Amino acid sequence: MTTTSLRALGDLLALLPRELAAELLEIAREKGADFAEVYGEQSVHTGFSYEENRLKTSSYSVTQGVGVRAVIGDQTGYAYADGFSPDDLREAARVAARIARGAPANGRPKAFRVVDAPWPFRLERPAPLALDEHGKIELVERANHTARAHDPRIHEVSVSLGDSSKSFVVASSDGLWAEDRQFLSRLTVSSLALEGSERQEGYATGGGSVEAAYFEAERTPEEIATEASRTAITLLGAREPEAGVYPVVVSPGWGGVMVHECFGHSMEGDTIRKQTSIRASQMGQLVASKGVTIVDSGIVPFSRGSFRVDDEGTPAQRTVLVENGILCGYLWDLLNARITGNRPTGNGRRSSYRAVPLCRMTNTYIEPGPHSPEDLIADVKRGLYCKSMGGGSVNPADGNFSFQVTEACRIVDGKLAEPVRNATLTGNGSDAMLKIDAVANDLEIDGSTGSCGKDGQWKPVGVGQPTVRFREITVGGTST
Amino acid sequence: MNDPILDSATGVATGLEAIAAEAVERARRAGADQAEACVESSRSFSVEVNGGKIETLKQSATRGLGLRVMVGGAVGFVSSNDLGGERMEDLARRAVALARLPTPDPANALPTPAEAGEAGGPDLELLDPAVVALPAETKIEMALELERVALAHDPRIRRTDGAHVSSGSGTSVIANSLGLKRSSSGAAVSAYVVPLADDRDGKQQNGAYGMSKRRLSEMPAMEAIAREAASRAVARIGARPVATARVPVVMHPDVAGSWIAEMLDAFSAESVIKKASWLTEKLGATIASPLVTLVDDGRLKRGVGSGPHDGEGVATRRNVLIERGVCAMFLYDTYHARRAGTRSTGSAVRGYSSVPGIGFHNLCLEPGGDSPEAILRKADRGFYMTDQGSFGFNSVTGDYSFQAQGFWIERGEKTFPVEGVTVASNSLDMLRNVAAVGNDLRWEGSVASPTILIAGMTVSGGGA
Repeated sequence: MTTTSLRALGDLLALLPRELAAELLEIAREKGADFAEVYGEQSVHTGFSYEENRLKTSSYSVTQGVGVRAVIGDQTGYAYADGFSPDDLREAARVAARIARGAPANGRPKAFRVVDAPWPFRLERPAPLALDEHGKIELVERANHTARAHDPRIHEVSVSLGDSSKSFVVASSDGLWAEDRQFLSRLTVSSLALEGSERQEGYATGGGSVEAAYFEAERTPEEIATEASRTAITLLGAREPEAGVYPVVVSPGWGGVMVHECFGHSMEGDTIRKQTSIRASQMGQLVASKGVTIVDSGIVPFSRGSFRVDDEGTPAQRTVLVENGILCGYLWDLLNARITGNRPTGNGRRSSYRAVPLCRMTNTYIEPGPHSPEDLIADVKRGLYCKSMGGGSVNPADGNFSFQVTEACRIVDGKLAEPVRNATLTGNGSDAMLKIDAVANDLEIDGSTGSCGKDGQWKPVGVGQPTVRFREITVGGTST
Repeated sequence: MNDPILDSATGVATGLEAIAAEAVERARRAGADQAEACVESSRSFSVEVNGGKIETLKQSATRGLGLRVMVGGAVGFVSSNDLGGERMEDLARRAVALARLPTPDPANALPTPAEAGEAGGPDLELLDPAVVALPAETKIEMALELERVALAHDPRIRRTDGAHVSSGSGTSVIANSLGLKRSSSGAAVSAYVVPLADDRDGKQQNGAYGMSKRRLSEMPAMEAIAREAASRAVARIGARPVATARVPVVMHPDVAGSWIAEMLDAFSAESVIKKASWLTEKLGATIASPLVTLVDDGRLKRGVGSGPHDGEGVATRRNVLIERGVCAMFLYDTYHARRAGTRSTGSAVRGYSSVPGIGFHNLCLEPGGDSPEAILRKADRGFYMTDQGSFGFNSVTGDYSFQAQGFWIERGEKTFPVEGVTVASNSLDMLRNVAAVGNDLRWEGSVASPTILIAGMTVSGGGA
C-alpha cells in the first residue's frame, strides 16, 4: 500500500486505540452479552459530475464513526456514534449492551490477535488517491467528448466519477483485531439520443477497486463513452419485444446479475438459518442443470466486490455454492455461522458503521462450460439474445424475480436479428438455474458496475458468467 | 462547542443554527461568493422481532453538515459528520477550492429570503410528542404483537420474515449567506410485518403490510396491520401464471402508487430541460384521461413527506402536476427555475450529505368515485395487479414493464392468484387509458393512490 494510505489508517488507529476498543467491548458485555464487537470507520467520497457540456459540481464527503454490537444467542443490540468522542462511544456501547438483561459476561475478554489475511491483490496507486482533482476531471471530460462525438443524434451526455477511500478497524470480544483499507472508483456515462419524437438512453460504467492506470490500460473513458452512445443509438431503431415464453441467451459479464438475484440471495446464511429460503433444505440436491457450477468469491482481482477481510474481519475466500448442479455450500456471516455451527465464509458486510453487518454476496458467478458462445445462438430457432441488462430483483421468500433488459436482439433461425428494447425477464428462482441448457466458455466477471441492496443497505458487488442459454424464460413486452 | 444537543424529551435539536451560521461565515471568509449550510440532527430506534423474540435492537443519534458554496457561478459541495471547529475550517476551505473547478453558470444562485417565501405558516403537525415519548418497551411489544397475530392468523403461516417497528425524530436547519434561515423538526413511527405462508414444494408466499405515520394516534392497531399482511400471504397460495394476452388491468393502490412515483422524474425540470423526459413537449397538453389529477403537496398536514420548506429553504406548496388529464406544470428547484426564467416550486429535496435535487414531498393521485369492487366489475375479465418487482420503468421513455403478482378477474370478480407474469405498456398510453379511479385513497407513507383501472395492458406469461 502507499504511504498515504498507511497514514490515513494511522489516523483511525489514533482515534480508536486498542485500549479504548477493549473498554468498549467490556461495556458492551456488561449485561451478559456473549459476543461484542466494535467497528470504527473513516470514509471519504469524492465526486465530479459533468452535464450539459460542463462540469456541474465537485463534491467531497467525510463519514466517520463507530458502531458497537452486542450479541446474546441470536439477539443483537446495535448502536453507533458519529465521530470518535470517547464519551459518545461509551454511551453507544452501553445502549448496545441492553439487548442482554443479566449480569456481566464471565471471563476477561481475550487479548487481541491481529488477523493476518493474505492480500487477494495489491493496489500500488489506487485510483481515488493517485489521481488528483484535475486527473479525475480529465477522465470525465474525455468521456463527455467521445460520447457526444459518437453520433449527431446524441443530444445530451451525463458523466460522473465517484470514488471512495474507506479505512476500518474491527475488534471483537473473541480477540479478533482486523484493519483494512478499501478503494473504489466508478466512471459512469449516460447518453441520450433523440430522433424525431423518439428518445432513448444508453448507459455504461467502468471501474472497481482499481489502479489509476486502469482508466488508461484496462478500460478507457473513451471505451465507456462509446458503449453508452452506441447503445442509445441502437435503441432508437429497436422494436418492442414479443411477449411470451421462449429461449433466452444472456451475454457474459453483467448478465451474471441473474445468478446473483435468482440464486445467490437464497444462499445467504440469514435466510438459511431462518428457513425463509427454499434452499435451506436442499443441501446435496440438484438445484441447477448438470454442468452448472456457481461460485461466490471475495478475492477476484480489482473487483468492486473484493476485499482482504470482510466488515467483520473474516478473510475473503472463494466459496463453491453449486458444483455441477449440486448444492454444496452456503454463505455465512459471523452471527449466522455462530448460531448454526458453521464456519464464516467472509460474507459479513455492512454499508457503514451505522449499520448492522448482514450476510451478503461478494463476486458471484457461473464458471465456464464447454461450448462456444456462437453455438448457443446457432441452436435457437426463435429466441432473445440479451446484450445488456439493467437492474434486477428477487423476492427471497417466494423466489419471484425480474430483470430489465436494456438492450437485446431477436434470434431468428440461429442468427442474431433486429435490436429489441424494453424487455423484462421474469420467473421463479426455484427452477431458473434448472432451465439453463448450455454454458459457454467465455467467462467474464463484471467488477465495475454492481451495487446490491438488502434491508436498506447498499454494497458494491461483482457478478459474472459466460454466455448462458435458458431453455425458456417469460419475456414481458407489449407486442403479442 | 459544536455539538448539537438533541433533547430526547421533545425530539427537537438545538444549537444547529449556530453551527450553520458558523459554516456559512467560514465559507464566506474562505472566499465563497455565496454559501449555504444544511445541518441535520436526528435520533432513531428500530426493533425487529422474529420467532417471538427480539432479533435486532438498534438505537442511534446522528448529525451532519452539508456546505454548498458558489464562487463566480461555480458550485462546490462538502459534507461531514465531524463538526469540530478545526474540521469545519478545513471543510470550508475545501468547499471553496472545489468550487474553483466547475464551469461557471450564471443560473447557480441560492434563494434570497424573499424568493424563499414566508417562514412558518400553519402548523403542519409533524412533531407528535407521543411519538417522541413512545418507550422502547412499547415499541418492542408492538413488534411482538405484529408477529404473534400474523402467526395465529392461519396454520399455513408458520414463520415471518420479521416484524419491524421503528421511530425517529430530528431537526433540520438551512441557512445561507443571503440571510435565509429556516428550521423544522419532525417525528415519525413505522410498523410492518412480512408473514410467510407455506405453498407447494417448499415454496413460501409472502404478504407484506405496514405503514409510516407522523401521529401515534393515526397508527392503526398492530392487530389490524398483522391481519392484513397475513391475509395477503395466504391469498397467494397456489399462484400460477396465465397465458399472454392484452387485457384490462386493475392496479391495487400499492402498485398504482409505485407507478406514479416512477413517473415523477418526467415532471422534473432537470429532465425536461435536458429533453430526457417523455413529457418534454407536453406542457399544457392533454396527456391523460380526465379522471387523472396528480398532486405533490409539501404542506399536507401530518404528511410523512411534509415540511414547511424544501432542501434550499424555499417554502413548500401544493403543486398540481396533472389537472383532469392536462399536463399542468413541472417541478423546479432554484437553479432550474433560473434556467427557465421561472420560480422554484419548493421541490428541492436532500439529506445533509448531498446537493439538493428535484423530488417530491407527498405525491398523490386524487381519488375518484368508484369503490374497488365496482372497478373489478368494470374490468370484467382481466388482471388485478397487487404486487410487482423492483426494476421495470424507463424514466426516459416512460416504458413500463414489471414482473407482477395478483389475481385473475373473471366476470367482475377476483378469482385465482397469479404469479410469474409481466405487465407492460407505456406510461402515456396508460395515462390515457385510465378508465376508473377508486374512492379508496389512504396515506400510508409519502405516496398514495386509490385503486385504478387501465383499459388495456399486455400481460405475458406461460400459463394456459
